[in-house]
Amino acid sequence: MAWAIAGISAAIGAVLGGSGLGYFISPAFAKREEEWVDLGSVKEFKANVPLKIDFTSRKRDAWATVEKRASAWVLTPNGRDFIAFDPKCTHLGCPYRWDDSQKKFLCPCHTAVFDVDGRVVSGPPPRPLDRFSTKVVGGRLMVRPSSGGEAAA
Amino acid sequence: MISAALAWTFERTGVDKIWEALFARHIPEAKGPVAWLYALGSATLFVFTVQAVTGTLLAMNYVPSPDHAYDSVRFIGSEVYFGRFIRGLHHWGASFMVVLVALHMMRVYFMASYKYPREATWLAGVGLFLLVIGFSFTGYLLPWDQKAYWATMVGANIAGQTPFVGSYVSKILIGGAEMGAATLSRFYALHVLVLPALTGGALVLHLFLVVWHGISEPPKRVEKGS
Ligand code: FES
Repeated sequence: MAWAIAGISAAIGAVLGGSGLGYFISPAFAKREEEWVDLGSVKEFKANVPLKIDFTSRKRDAWATVEKRASAWVLTPNGRDFIAFDPKCTHLGCPYRWDDSQKKFLCPCHTAVFDVDGRVVSGPPPRPLDRFSTKVVGGRLMVRPSSGGEAAA
Repeated sequence: MISAALAWTFERTGVDKIWEALFARHIPEAKGPVAWLYALGSATLFVFTVQAVTGTLLAMNYVPSPDHAYDSVRFIGSEVYFGRFIRGLHHWGASFMVVLVALHMMRVYFMASYKYPREATWLAGVGLFLLVIGFSFTGYLLPWDQKAYWATMVGANIAGQTPFVGSYVSKILIGGAEMGAATLSRFYALHVLVLPALTGGALVLHLFLVVWHGISEPPKRVEKGS
C-alpha cells in the first residue's frame, strides 16, 4: 500500500514537475527566426547602379510583432548576383550616399569614400561597408537585415 | 553519518517535533467511502499548490494589456514547451478548486464538524471559499477573449445592482467608468498579488487550527433517539 502510494505520488510529481520544468526552460530551445524582407523584382535593378531601397522589416518578439523602418543600398553587377549594403557608415554610423559622377559612396560626416564594392578608399572607417545577406527567390530579391552588421565575406 | 547530520538538524531546528505534530497526529478511524471524504481538504490544498505553480509559470509569458493579453496567451499555447498543458492544468484546476472546496464544505457541514470548538476553522474556511471565488472571477477575464470580456461585463453589471452605491461599486471593480485596459491590469493585480497574499494568510490560519484542534470524529449512529 505504502509503495503504491509512493509510486503514484512519484508519477504525479514527475508529470507535473517535468512539464513545469520544461515550460520554464523552454526559452533555451528558442531559435532565432530568419526575417527575409522582399525588396521587389530583380528586374528593377540596373547593373552597377546602386539603389537605395526603403523597406519595413517585421520581427517577431515573442507574442508581439515589431515593425522597423530600414533601408539598404542594393547593387548588382549583372542582374543575378546582388549585394545589399547596410546604409550606415562603418565609421560612426552616418548615412552615406552614392555619387554617380565619381562612382563612389561618400559619407558626409568625416568625408569617407567607399568604392562600389564597399571598400574604403579614404577616410576614417575601420572596415568596408557592412553587407546584408541576400537571396533571389522566384525573381524577387530578398534581404535579411541584421542590426549587428555582419561583414559578409 | 546521515543520522548524525539529522540529529544535528533536529536538535537545532526542531523539525522532527514539527513533523510529528503535523503528520503523526491522531486522525479519526473511518472506513470505506466515508474515509475518502476526509481527503477533500488535502485534495484542495494539492490543487491549490498546482494552481500556484502553474500560475507562476503562466505569468512569465503573460501581459495584462489589451494589446498583448490575447496574443500572449496564444503564444503560451503554441510556442512555449508544455504551454498548452500548463495552461490546461491551470484552467481545469480552477474548476477543480471550486468543486473541491464546495464538496469539502459540504462534508464539514453535514458531519457538523464546524461546531465547537472549530468555529474559527470554519470561518477561516469560509474566507478561503470567498477567495477561491475571487480567483475564479478575476482569472476568468485574463485570457481577454470574447467570453472573458462579456462574463466580466455581466459580473460588473451584477455589482452595479447594489442598492444606492451600485454604480460606485462597479466602477471600483472594473477600475473606471467602462471596461478596458485598467480593468485588465486591475484584475491581474488582484489575481496574482492581492488574492494570493490573503489566501496565504487565511490558509496558514486554517491549517494551524486544523492541527491545533485535531480532526473531528465522524458522527456516530445512536441507538436511542436524541
Ligand atoms: S561616420 Fe562616416 S566617415 Fe565618420
